[in-house]
Amino acid sequence: MTGAGFFRAAGVLAAKDLSIEWRTREGLSAMVLFSLIVLVVFSFAFDLATIKQLGPARLVPGILWTTLAFAGVVGFTRSFQVEARRDSMTALLLAPVDRGALFAGKSLSNLVELLILEIVVVPLSAVFFGYDLMAMLGPMAVVVFLHTLGLAEMGTLLGAVAAKVGRGEALLSTLLFPVTMPLFISAVKCTNAVLEGEELSTVSNWLLVALGFDLLFLFVGLLTFEYVVEE
Amino acid sequence: MTSGQNRWTLALTALVLIAMFVAIWMVFQYVPNERVMGPVQKIFYFHVPAAMITFLSVFLLMASSITYLWTRNQRWDRISLASTEIGLMFCTLVLVTGPIWAKAAWGVWWTWEARLTTTLILWLLLAGCLMVRGYAQNQDLGARLASVLGVIAALDVVIVYKAVHWWRGQHPIVFKSGEKNPLAPEMYTTFMYCIGVFMALFLLMMILRVTVLALENRTQALAERRTGELS
Repeated sequence: MTGAGFFRAAGVLAAKDLSIEWRTREGLSAMVLFSLIVLVVFSFAFDLATIKQLGPARLVPGILWTTLAFAGVVGFTRSFQVEARRDSMTALLLAPVDRGALFAGKSLSNLVELLILEIVVVPLSAVFFGYDLMAMLGPMAVVVFLHTLGLAEMGTLLGAVAAKVGRGEALLSTLLFPVTMPLFISAVKCTNAVLEGEELSTVSNWLLVALGFDLLFLFVGLLTFEYVVEE
Repeated sequence: MTSGQNRWTLALTALVLIAMFVAIWMVFQYVPNERVMGPVQKIFYFHVPAAMITFLSVFLLMASSITYLWTRNQRWDRISLASTEIGLMFCTLVLVTGPIWAKAAWGVWWTWEARLTTTLILWLLLAGCLMVRGYAQNQDLGARLASVLGVIAALDVVIVYKAVHWWRGQHPIVFKSGEKNPLAPEMYTTFMYCIGVFMALFLLMMILRVTVLALENRTQALAERRTGELS
């Protein structure tokens, strides 16, 4: 299979997933509502005095990434439920494309959905916990993108594993959270630095951890996805 | 298993049993108490070898998982399953003996130090591998999914260790026995001896588990053939 064919197949698959999502808006609306609820639960979990005392820079990174990881699990599970409903995964497997392209396409559509979710959730967190997002938009976007990429890759690969054995969110979360732990630590550290108004160069080692994670598991996913989905 | 193999396994079992009693005698009678920490330090003679076996198992898990995916020879999957189980068991031992020592030496049961955190995450990852096997509808699917997870887990542990190390900064108490208080000769002998005994124990458990798994597969195949003949 040629390189161009690989990218075209991945693009077509991602476009298919996103157009299904665009027509039903089931997945994204579930993710957005769920994130909203988690954010509200968090603001009750810490009382106002604690929130004021800790300040957004110490509080928001943990809350934000926990919310996004939870919402991600909802999205990843759904992304394979859609295929299971009419057994369209079999049809995808029959298509004469590299299985790696299936992984790339699914990861891409999951990534886009997560990014759309973040466009809603990150400003919401700024409103709820009182920090000036506009002043740090650039660095925040870089941090959010780098860590969401790894989350989407791992969520796609492990989501396929959970779907294959017919288990949903429960299995996916027990697999996904330990594996993405380094990414999670890095995300919290980087977001904290951004909220403190520091330059991104101060957390360059963490950005490298995230980038390394993204690249390593992109590679692993492309190679192993075939073993997960095959019949 | 032929009777020749049987004899060797029996001999190894006897050897490990006797060697383990000798190890217990050495730890409690032969080796002197550590000057500062006292008798509680003796847990190290079991704790450190157990940790070594855990990481040896993870290495074996990764190697056998990759080989299984490559060759699809069930022999490799049996090794992969055995190393997951044995690794999980020794990992549990590490997580139990560690806090017993930590409570006496550091005054707390648990601290989020790099090695402790990494071991805990590793435990979760190994448990995930076993969980997926349990959920899988058939052995072949379980083997494939667990192998993919095995590769992910082994790679992830390295990143987790690096990330947690940076996250906590330098860890609070560095156990560098080589520098400040060089080990007494008895301590060194006992330590090395215990490592040897644990290696032998690991080898024995590996052989027994892989043999049992091979027998299980054979019985199953025979039972299936029998039902085929009868119907």
